[in-house]
Amino acid sequence: MELLLTNLAHGFGVALSFQNLSFALLGALIGTAIGVLPGIGPVATISLLLPITFGLPATTAIIMLAGIFYGAQYGGSTTAILLNLPGEVSSVVTTLEGYKMARNGRAGAALATAAIGSFFAGTVGTILVAASGPLLTQVALSFGPADYFSLMLLGLIIASVLAQGSVIKAIGMVVFGVALGLVGTDVQTGQQRFTFGIPELSDGIGFVPVAMGMFGIAEIILNLERPESRSVLTNKVGSLWLTKEEFRRATPAVLRGTVVGSFLGILPGGGAALAAFGSYMMERKMSKGRDQFGSGAIEGVAGPEAANNAAAQTSFIPLLTLGIPSNAVMALMVGALIIQGIQPGPRMVEAQPDLFWGLIASMWVGNLMLLVINLPLIGMWVKLLQVPYKYLYPAILVFCSIGVYSLNNNVFDVYMTVLFSVFGYFCNKVKLEAAPLLIGFVLGPMMEEHLRRAMLLSRGDPMVFLERPISATMLGIGAVALLAMALPALRKGKDKALAE
Amino acid sequence: MKINEKDLVSGLFLILIAAIGLWLNLDHNMGTARRMGPGYMPWMVFWLQIVLGGLAVLIGIFGDGEKLLRWTGNEIGAFVGGIAVGFAVFYILKPMPGFFGQTYNAVGTAMMIGFLVLCIAPGWRLFGLINASMCLFGLLLEKMGFFAALVGIIVMSCLAEREHLKKPIGILGTTIFLLIMCWFVFIKELDIRVNLWPQL
Amino acid sequence: MPSRIARRDVLVTSTVFAPRVLRAQAWPAQAIRLVVPFAPGGTTDLMARLVATPLAERLGVAITIDNRPGAGATVGSLAVAQAVPDGHTLLMSNIASHGIGPSLYPGIRYDAVRDFSHIALITQNPSVFVANPRAGIGSISELAARHRASAGGIDMASSGAGSSNHMLIVLLGRALGREINHIPFRGAGPAMTAVIGGQVPLMSDSLPSAASHLRAGSVRGVAISDAERHPAFPDIPTFREQGHDIVSTSWFGLSGPAGMPPAVVERLNLELREILGGAELRRRFAELGGTPGQMSAAEYAGYVAAEVAYWAPLVRASGAQPD
Repeated sequence: MELLLTNLAHGFGVALSFQNLSFALLGALIGTAIGVLPGIGPVATISLLLPITFGLPATTAIIMLAGIFYGAQYGGSTTAILLNLPGEVSSVVTTLEGYKMARNGRAGAALATAAIGSFFAGTVGTILVAASGPLLTQVALSFGPADYFSLMLLGLIIASVLAQGSVIKAIGMVVFGVALGLVGTDVQTGQQRFTFGIPELSDGIGFVPVAMGMFGIAEIILNLERPESRSVLTNKVGSLWLTKEEFRRATPAVLRGTVVGSFLGILPGGGAALAAFGSYMMERKMSKGRDQFGSGAIEGVAGPEAANNAAAQTSFIPLLTLGIPSNAVMALMVGALIIQGIQPGPRMVEAQPDLFWGLIASMWVGNLMLLVINLPLIGMWVKLLQVPYKYLYPAILVFCSIGVYSLNNNVFDVYMTVLFSVFGYFCNKVKLEAAPLLIGFVLGPMMEEHLRRAMLLSRGDPMVFLERPISATMLGIGAVALLAMALPALRKGKDKALAE
Repeated sequence: MKINEKDLVSGLFLILIAAIGLWLNLDHNMGTARRMGPGYMPWMVFWLQIVLGGLAVLIGIFGDGEKLLRWTGNEIGAFVGGIAVGFAVFYILKPMPGFFGQTYNAVGTAMMIGFLVLCIAPGWRLFGLINASMCLFGLLLEKMGFFAALVGIIVMSCLAEREHLKKPIGILGTTIFLLIMCWFVFIKELDIRVNLWPQL
Repeated sequence: MPSRIARRDVLVTSTVFAPRVLRAQAWPAQAIRLVVPFAPGGTTDLMARLVATPLAERLGVAITIDNRPGAGATVGSLAVAQAVPDGHTLLMSNIASHGIGPSLYPGIRYDAVRDFSHIALITQNPSVFVANPRAGIGSISELAARHRASAGGIDMASSGAGSSNHMLIVLLGRALGREINHIPFRGAGPAMTAVIGGQVPLMSDSLPSAASHLRAGSVRGVAISDAERHPAFPDIPTFREQGHDIVSTSWFGLSGPAGMPPAVVERLNLELREILGGAELRRRFAELGGTPGQMSAAEYAGYVAAEVAYWAPLVRASGAQPD
């Protein structure tokens, strides 16, 4: 403990130097800006900025890049809440309740909840990384392919909880999402599946074109079709701050979200993707406001946002303790370090204490900065909603188009977005929901990968899923969740049948 | 018996897609449980989707009578016409040398013209224009440059809004404002890699 | 909005810096676009940037790095194959797109040899077989014994189906007379995690990505796929020393579209070889686990052709290609 404090003090010494502090701020600002821009993600930005970091000391460079990473997380929630534009999986969940809150005139409260919840979760996550990084690494390492498969399956089962209407249709969309996720090169054999010979599809359909099309663009068309609904968006802007009641409801959700997110973030095999909607599921079943879900429940913003940011912190653990990046952003950070002549690896703590503890301290500093940046911005963002929709929608359209193009510098992605906008419009008309599809889309390919790997390792024996304790536990929870979902539906069906 | 048309269509859609998927999946080796081939997972997924689609159809048949919006004859005609023209344009342009033969320009042109044909029916106008404007952006961006593509998408998407048609000055203002803003954000600040001006 | 640092004038560093004096030649007349067909931050991308900086200085024009990842580096390669061969669009050709890819992707739309002007080999690096320290496998003979003893064969991870690391597993399986149970992952990181965590005992990895784990002792080197031991890891024996004639290196080099002016190719080859011979670059490459190349343009073209021919039967044998 004492050692930890000494180390942290050392870390803060590094992080609070003028140079590091200013680059952390810079990173946080850039991150927020690009997070707000639909389609432009942290990966694209960091790769653009990578050359700049060559001229900086390694610690400063990493602190800035980490700032961009968190900043993008904060900024991403903003567009999800205000414009129904999710830039990544976790924001899909935020759109569900956050955009509803915005339409109810509670955009300010939703944004504030997201910022405060994220900050709290970020703080807890940072402490976890500092205090028990190596220990948590062991947890991550004990997860085998079978365990990951069961975790993903559990994730997909609970994804149907995202349903706001028919559960059957939601599960259908989850499954269709999984199918869409299978497009591309098969990881096990390298064979092309469902690509129709199009090289751009060989790495799969991109997440952003799907999300942008089904949520963003389709939403524009639908808003234009219903002039009455956009006036709601522009006229009602309630108080910017949380009411006492909202605060009371959000607090436990943030706490639960932090726990869920911290744990899932450790798992490099896709755990972080589960964090936000794992928390959403929990809130929807457990929180006091569960009956308000679907019409703008604050718990549905607070929990997932906290979970997401906690996971963003703990997802650094594999990088810091093993030198293995757990996502594309971190792969870029590794690249930045290598260019600097530092090989990130298991010995980074001893070999580069400045870098290691400085980064951890700056995680917290970065989160604090983001809170300070974001709270005053809320007023400005909410004002954005008062821009008449006839001026706002061309702007959204343009920003989406440029963002989508810049993903791969390829117009193919623009046309894909158009296709998914058509599909999203159709889904809206027949009441098929997009959120479960996106979850399936993201988790499906990972699930297949883990399933096939587990079966390869077990020589084709499916019992491996029940023999491994972690996997068995996940499957057990999944079974209970399925039952819990099926029972009320059955009961309702019976009541209905009796009533007729 | 009251049919919920939305559930019915959803279910049929899921079944249709899954059936196409299963057919395409015939190309892929199933493998064994131990060494699953590329076709194993799609096979399971599509069958599950058929089952779920079937359930949705059943629920729809014994549903609560929710109806889909009725299409007018005009709308049906525009829909069929848009698809037909789109495909025709694609097959005419694809073998052409030069611009249309390159990358996805034939696809983009075909999609844009298809969406514009759709706009003939008033009910499809918003839908057609917004999607067509994005296609136009894709078509113009690489050859004609960033600014031309922006002008294209902004002007065409603005046509979707009646108020802009009444006061075209609004379109001009929006265009100028967005041009400056996008230049500042994407070119000056983010420095994305794209041609600014026409490449002749 | 992002502030000063993101501005174009600072970002000139991304277009590697250009000196003032333009040489009195028709080429290079404008900035050169160097397509790196991998995501930024990977080993190839980093090495490309390390080479591009001095090259830009010598040529007197800026070199912009254009990352075009996708489909085993074939998307970016296709873009260059179709570009104007005036020497202003160049490519980091590599083992994935120009060695294995042609046999792996049946729908590939370029010929790795005929559609390019191959200019120079930049670097080669060996692969290394690593084992979890608790697995008790320290040599190929121990590996072979375990392979024979276990019912379904031994498990070995790689960074992906169709990678050169995968092909090495196929080669060793052939040499041992029994197929090794290949466990492909999506990238080297997840595979390494599984090996360190003990989910899979062995992995075939490229030396640059395994280096830090070898140094830290979290994995143990079993064999290295070079002709001689690597100076940075002198205690890892080669396959040859252990009785298997397996020598395979991953590589990348500089190429352009077919039909580039021979003078431009020669000039680029000359400049590159001077850069690659420099002490600074040798040191940086050695850190990353690579050996700088010194081939003439003709030698490199021949090398690429030989690689394509070499991998074709192996790719077929690996089952990584659809029937």
